[in-house]
Amino acid sequence: MTGVPTRPARPRPAAPRPGLDDVLAATARGARRTDELAEFPVDALAALRASGLLGLVVPAEHGGGGGGFGDLVDVTLRLSREDMSVGMVFAMHCQQAMAVVRYARPRLRAELLPALGRGELYLASVTTERGKGGQLLVSESAVTAGDGLLRIDRDAPIVTGGTHADGFLITTLAPDAASPTQVSLVYAARDQLAVEVTGDWQPLGMRATHSVPMRLVGAVPEHQVLGAAGDFRSIVTALFGPAAHLGWSAAWLGTAAGALSRVLRLMREPAGRRQFDLTSDLLLSRLARIRARLDAVHALLRHTVTAVEAAVDMSAPPVRLLVNTLKVQAAEQCFEAVHELVELVGLRHGYLRGSPLFLERAFRDLRSASLNYANDRLNLVNGSLTLLDQEVHLG
Amino acid sequence: MDPGFAIMLRPFLKYAGDREITSASRLHELGLDSMQAIELLFAIEDGYGVTLPDDKLVDATFETAGRLWAEVQQLRPLEDAS
Repeated sequence: MTGVPTRPARPRPAAPRPGLDDVLAATARGARRTDELAEFPVDALAALRASGLLGLVVPAEHGGGGGGFGDLVDVTLRLSREDMSVGMVFAMHCQQAMAVVRYARPRLRAELLPALGRGELYLASVTTERGKGGQLLVSESAVTAGDGLLRIDRDAPIVTGGTHADGFLITTLAPDAASPTQVSLVYAARDQLAVEVTGDWQPLGMRATHSVPMRLVGAVPEHQVLGAAGDFRSIVTALFGPAAHLGWSAAWLGTAAGALSRVLRLMREPAGRRQFDLTSDLLLSRLARIRARLDAVHALLRHTVTAVEAAVDMSAPPVRLLVNTLKVQAAEQCFEAVHELVELVGLRHGYLRGSPLFLERAFRDLRSASLNYANDRLNLVNGSLTLLDQEVHLG
Repeated sequence: MDPGFAIMLRPFLKYAGDREITSASRLHELGLDSMQAIELLFAIEDGYGVTLPDDKLVDATFETAGRLWAEVQQLRPLEDAS
């Protein structure tokens, strides 16, 4: 019998990312300090700017990297192996940049895209509001319109990287809003705003995201509204939601993959082989379970990228279910993977701050995952969406 | 649009207040959210004896009262004939 020789499966080659090594090195150097002090990773951001990677998702004709969701996932995974905070900062910047690329009006595109494409602008997101209980699609922040300007006075309890951003995408009520659901997404450059930090940032994990409360006051021309006034909902459905969940999931998976890799390196060193019984049934089954969690999340992440890129209508329940499920599963499985790693390696390697494995930082960072747009809320939404898809079209 | 349809919609539109619900009323702006969409769907299916197919359950169908009514209307003759 003759058979067609099969080619051995090989991992997808990583796209060359000029400058990424410098960013990874800067991230690794600063991670322990920025975590301890809950400071923004300024050196990593400087390296990101120098590398051009802040322009990754801007089309090549504007000088950017021409990247899509797959590229956002690739780079976020790599950064997060060193520091989840840097991965989150990068992914959330890309989410803002994608929104500018897709929804900015021609004049704003002309003003922003060249610098954004060169990777010179770091954009922060201002969607949180006191009193709305984490609901993304409503706002109580009024703007006043006049003389072609929108006057913004926005109080936001959590603004990741807000003290270092060059520009902000801000949710506000549309000027003539008749209900709190008529929300606009507005771009404001830092020099168009008076920016005040109104409180401290002392969280359990994700400390280097420096997500401080801020008040932003200023006026911007009306052409800086993205998409149609009052129609933030459409941007969330088509782009903002999927980009957030893909980017965050990549950050969580990268964090857990980095943690597993460091543990495996330790175990395989001669000293590690003396310390850990690598033939132990318990150790091997724990490793298998941890690895399986990561492979399952990775498969779901890559599949969701493909499904989102192919989707004709992102509001269809099967694709929304998939995107939300990715977020919920990545949050649960990546945290559980690192939780099990801590159990596996014990107090000295898994629980101490000074451990070179920094599992305790990954553990603290990943504890935020289920809370970052709460899994409880997404599960309720997914329950309703499941009822809407009685044929069960698997996305 | 059937006047009864506007009456049926009103409980799902928490921001409608005293405003008249017309064909142009934008349902999401008036407060319809994804959690309520299923309840509204049941009300439509029970009230008009139609079943909206899964592939119609996208944002565009629920954009305005008139658009949703048009979908219901399209389904009614088929149901009546059966």
